[in-house]
Amino acid sequence: MSTPNSELDKHLQALFGGLDTRADFEARLMARLRAESQTAATERAVRTREQERARYRRAVSELQTWRRSMLRMLTLDTLGIALLLVAAIVTAWPHVSQDVMDISRQYAPYIAMSLGILIAAVPLLAMWAEQTRRPVRLL
Amino acid sequence: MLTETGLMELVRSGRRDEAITLLLPAFRRKVFGLSYSFLRDREAAEDVTQEVFIKVWRALPGFDARASLSTWIYTIARNASLSALRARRPQSSLSDPEVTQAVEGIDPVPSADVLAERSAILRLVDQLPEKQRQVVMLFYMEEQSHEEVATMLAMPVGTVKTLLHRARARLSAAAGNMGATA
Repeated sequence: MSTPNSELDKHLQALFGGLDTRADFEARLMARLRAESQTAATERAVRTREQERARYRRAVSELQTWRRSMLRMLTLDTLGIALLLVAAIVTAWPHVSQDVMDISRQYAPYIAMSLGILIAAVPLLAMWAEQTRRPVRLL
Repeated sequence: MLTETGLMELVRSGRRDEAITLLLPAFRRKVFGLSYSFLRDREAAEDVTQEVFIKVWRALPGFDARASLSTWIYTIARNASLSALRARRPQSSLSDPEVTQAVEGIDPVPSADVLAERSAILRLVDQLPEKQRQVVMLFYMEEQSHEEVATMLAMPVGTVKTLLHRARARLSAAAGNMGATA
């Protein structure tokens, strides 16, 4: 066998010039890309849902912190109001007419008890509200 | 005519499938040839070619045009081929019956002598050093463009020419020897 260069070129051209993929290559590729596309969309949706859940949990946690601080404030406010009320009564006491004083004296234990109950009830009510609050539903 | 700008416009507007459809006619054979030159196995080369286009499809939104599109795709193809090559040993040969059958099927009416000669040449190509074999395959597959082969293999054009010259000299000599001993 003697193969001059032009002959060799011809053979090599014939051997490799027509190399190509099978006819169904593009169809198979497009099918795989479609599947890939669906998987990617599903993954994106799951990721978005996870991010939304995390964002919601953060928001709920911030809200709960805010509510707790508000309840603390409310309890302190109630105590302050009660003290102010006592101070106001003590200050106003000498100027109040005899009739009112008689009635007050008559009802003093009840008023004191009501005031005590009010002061004690606020934190209890706050605790109760905190415990019986509907659990937060995450998405 | 496929332009990088046009392609990126498609990708930006969320039409990646369309972009791939445009890329396929321009690069399918080249990527297949490149993978085949590494793997010397038609099935494996076709699998790698599919993987390459899936990788391109995934990575298209991040393509920043720092390198040309062809350079980028050939880099993906070379890396995928090398990974496939590492994952799959031992290598098959160009003269495997399946490969011989595939290349023989290109020319519909070769005579028995021509077929025998081509088979012999195929065996000789198979025995060439790896780089020379790759250059020969891609050069004759890619309409004899040194520049294109250089881009595909990430080599200087001069290196491609040298490798090709050496390979052809070797093939001619080997073919001559075969003829003398026959």
